[in-house]
Amino acid sequence: MTLVHAPSPATTPARPRPGRSRPLRRHAWSLLFLAPAAVWLAVVVIYPVFATIRYSLFNDSGSFVGLSNYKNLFTTNSLLIPFRNNVIWVVIFPFFVTVFGLVFAVLSERIRWATAFKAIIVMPIVFSTTASALVWTNIFDLDPHVGAVNAAVQAVSDWFNPPGAYPVDTAAGQTVAALASAGDRSANGAILSTATVHPGDTVRLGLIGISPLTLQRLGAKPPRQPTAAPGSITGVVWRDFSPAHPTDRSTLYPDEQGLPMLHLALLGAGGSSVASTTTDTRGLFRFSGVPPGTYRVQVVPSNFQAGFTGTFWLGPQSLTPTGSASQTAQALLSVPLIDVGMIIAYLWIWSGFSMVLIGAGLSALDRQVLEAARVDGATEWQTFRRVTMPLLAPVLTVVFVTAVINVLKIFDIVVNMAPGASQQQANTLALQIYNSGFSGGIHTGLASAIAVILFVLVVPAMVWNLKKLRASNT
Amino acid sequence: MRNQLRSARLAVLGTAVATVSLIGATAGVSGLAATAGAARAPHARAHKAGGSVSVWGEWSTTEQASFLAAVKPFEQSTGITVNYSSKGSNMDTAVEAAVAGGKPPDVAFVPDPGTLDTLASQGKLTPLAPVLGPLVKNYGPAWTKLASYHNKLYGVWYKAANKNTVWYNPALFKEAGISSTPTTWQQLLTDSATLQAAGVTPVSLCTDIGWPVADLWQNLYLKSAGAANYNALAAHKIPWTNPTVTRAFDLLGQLVGHPSYLLGGTQGSLANKYPNCVDKVFPKPGTMPQAAMVIEADFVVSEITGNSANYTAGTTGKGGKACTANPSQTPCYDFFPFPAPAGSAKNASALQGAGDVGMILNDTPQARAFLKYMATAKPAEIWARRGGLTSPNKTVPLSAYPDPVTRADAKELVDASGFVFSLDDLQGSWEPQLWQDMLNFVKTPTKANIASIERTMQSQANTAFAKAGKK
Repeated sequence: MTLVHAPSPATTPARPRPGRSRPLRRHAWSLLFLAPAAVWLAVVVIYPVFATIRYSLFNDSGSFVGLSNYKNLFTTNSLLIPFRNNVIWVVIFPFFVTVFGLVFAVLSERIRWATAFKAIIVMPIVFSTTASALVWTNIFDLDPHVGAVNAAVQAVSDWFNPPGAYPVDTAAGQTVAALASAGDRSANGAILSTATVHPGDTVRLGLIGISPLTLQRLGAKPPRQPTAAPGSITGVVWRDFSPAHPTDRSTLYPDEQGLPMLHLALLGAGGSSVASTTTDTRGLFRFSGVPPGTYRVQVVPSNFQAGFTGTFWLGPQSLTPTGSASQTAQALLSVPLIDVGMIIAYLWIWSGFSMVLIGAGLSALDRQVLEAARVDGATEWQTFRRVTMPLLAPVLTVVFVTAVINVLKIFDIVVNMAPGASQQQANTLALQIYNSGFSGGIHTGLASAIAVILFVLVVPAMVWNLKKLRASNT
Repeated sequence: MRNQLRSARLAVLGTAVATVSLIGATAGVSGLAATAGAARAPHARAHKAGGSVSVWGEWSTTEQASFLAAVKPFEQSTGITVNYSSKGSNMDTAVEAAVAGGKPPDVAFVPDPGTLDTLASQGKLTPLAPVLGPLVKNYGPAWTKLASYHNKLYGVWYKAANKNTVWYNPALFKEAGISSTPTTWQQLLTDSATLQAAGVTPVSLCTDIGWPVADLWQNLYLKSAGAANYNALAAHKIPWTNPTVTRAFDLLGQLVGHPSYLLGGTQGSLANKYPNCVDKVFPKPGTMPQAAMVIEADFVVSEITGNSANYTAGTTGKGGKACTANPSQTPCYDFFPFPAPAGSAKNASALQGAGDVGMILNDTPQARAFLKYMATAKPAEIWARRGGLTSPNKTVPLSAYPDPVTRADAKELVDASGFVFSLDDLQGSWEPQLWQDMLNFVKTPTKANIASIERTMQSQANTAFAKAGKK
């Protein structure tokens, strides 16, 4: 506002007039005191705004190109995704930051330890956005050993679906079939001996691709040749990989290892399980008292259950199926998962701020009105809905509009949180300014044009906010 | 290179950065004080010359301390004070801006031969052949060519990085019974299958924001298509739809199209940031390695040795004990040269890398003396002994390098039949798009996708080069 007023007195020069009036002199004094701030603002705000507009009309080599930078932006699809993301941010973030701020503000008025509660909610504001982004990048990390969210999902998932001793991560492209060394088949996540066996026979099942770390953990020992026993089916399951003979399969070597704790099933002629057993530390097993007949030995699927290995929460995948829509429609309609992660992180940062603002509004409320409502028999909810909310409306709108301005220029959280694979999907207008203007090549004209577009988008919200503030001041 | 370092630095926590730069600043200040003191010492003044030379470079913190140590003998013997100032990762912009503003430093080391070409074409540089005289012969033809513009030499290479490296954990190779490292790309894939049979994930694929994939792809392109094609592609003189480009994508697809060869599969790879991808092969004590190989430049060494002082260079562990996978015991690290595809052996010793080239922007006697000194073996030797520098200067004795791995690395650089710079760093404005295209291929490594990615890249390159061409 200073900006608006400052130049106008400057245009009315204090002409030396005999017997200057007192108000004018006071005016001159206030001008003098305003000058440093006005000059400062002119240099760091007003000049850059006009310089940016000017730059946006020139190309990289400095020749005037009129509106061709704008034409470039509006006729190629380079701004589609940034624009869509800005819309997503504006639609989701201001609403939730206001709601959370309101809930926290109301709650903190009625709970014990309110100061501690407020301090915790407000604390994220003192961290730099970069630090917060790093914290949340770790919280959302793909590896459940690092990421808290995936660790929590894993804890629940493993409870219902416990991982086996020999996990095969199918999500990472591993297959149970690849574990079966020469000769044996796999079906439905199990490995089946090819040979049919009868009581008194021995079975050898070689598996490859078993991590040495797993074997170490299970205390595996070198395998033994199984000994045949009448009326029993005996055998060995072992890691069919010898470092000394890396390409030789199905021979038992002393530097190989038996696979302990494998659950096995004996399948009868009909393919149904008739007995089950578990291997020992040398990979040996025995099905005793088997009636005559033909059987197969199966390594059951539960051994290879991988359990939950993590969701890429900051990944580029879309939450809204866009199917066979055109490329442009896909770019406009998809909501990438990463946006949700970033918005959660940003809410964590800013909820405290909106709580403070709304809290201030709450404490300034006329308590008599609230009491009157209660005396009239209104319930808590009715009081809140019909009295508190309308009275708070001006504060809420200021918080909301400030949040809109804040997320229109969202940059730091995106640049710091989006992993490479999702950066394109997470792009925003402000990040695109940076990418065009500073990262890689320097396209000052193009970047300036985006900046001007962003400026135009922010102005209505800003003007509205200023008007509101001015109205509430008077 | 500078982008790599920038990304690497981003990954470090703020506090760590603050601490390190604080230490670095202190070291830098005390280093400057020490050199200033040396210049004022009476025995130095006895020699002659005097005066000062202003030098800009990208080295800061420990690198800055090493550089100052390397120029100390020069200051002592000539009495010329070296006023070094670090411009961090913005060297090119800083130098070009300073030149445009008319106040360049006397000498600048830039990490990009493109800047040397630009400045030479504007006539801002001093031709060095008459200045250096016989010292020119300290560099192989590949290096001389890179520091020349229209056949005139304008630069002195001081520090180089080698991207022609695949780093592996020797203990894991041993566990899989692999006794000799692969010499062809196909052998690398066969060894990957062996590693997998042994239950060891072959590769921790660095993806980050795409530059490590670009580095890998560029290695494959250089080895399959040769340096001439590589430079033509870098200059956008052959299109991205060229069959040589398709061939390089096919080769890359042989690895990334096999998700089970990659730690965490495709999804895990896409979340694999630098330098975490290095830590998965060479972890800190307390965790075990998760994969056997990581394909990146020689700058990974500082990450490995930073993870634990236990790491020994080469295939013999500390105290002559066998290398162990457990980083708390006697872990090792080693590299093998990036293997060329079968049938492309002639390109095997062409290297991709990066380097810092020094040039004279203000022709003063002090600047000439300084650059002459920088072309000798001495300054490289001093920094090499401190660790963290490999020099393309032939006269630097290999014994100056602290360990066999660095020695092998330096030998590769010196012997290079051709040396090319990172293609992505030469693309200007569309570099980030190129990285995204590479990530897109990792996401969907199919033949059909190659064609569509190539078309996209061609149009991006067209736009970028059309803009640059208007300059």
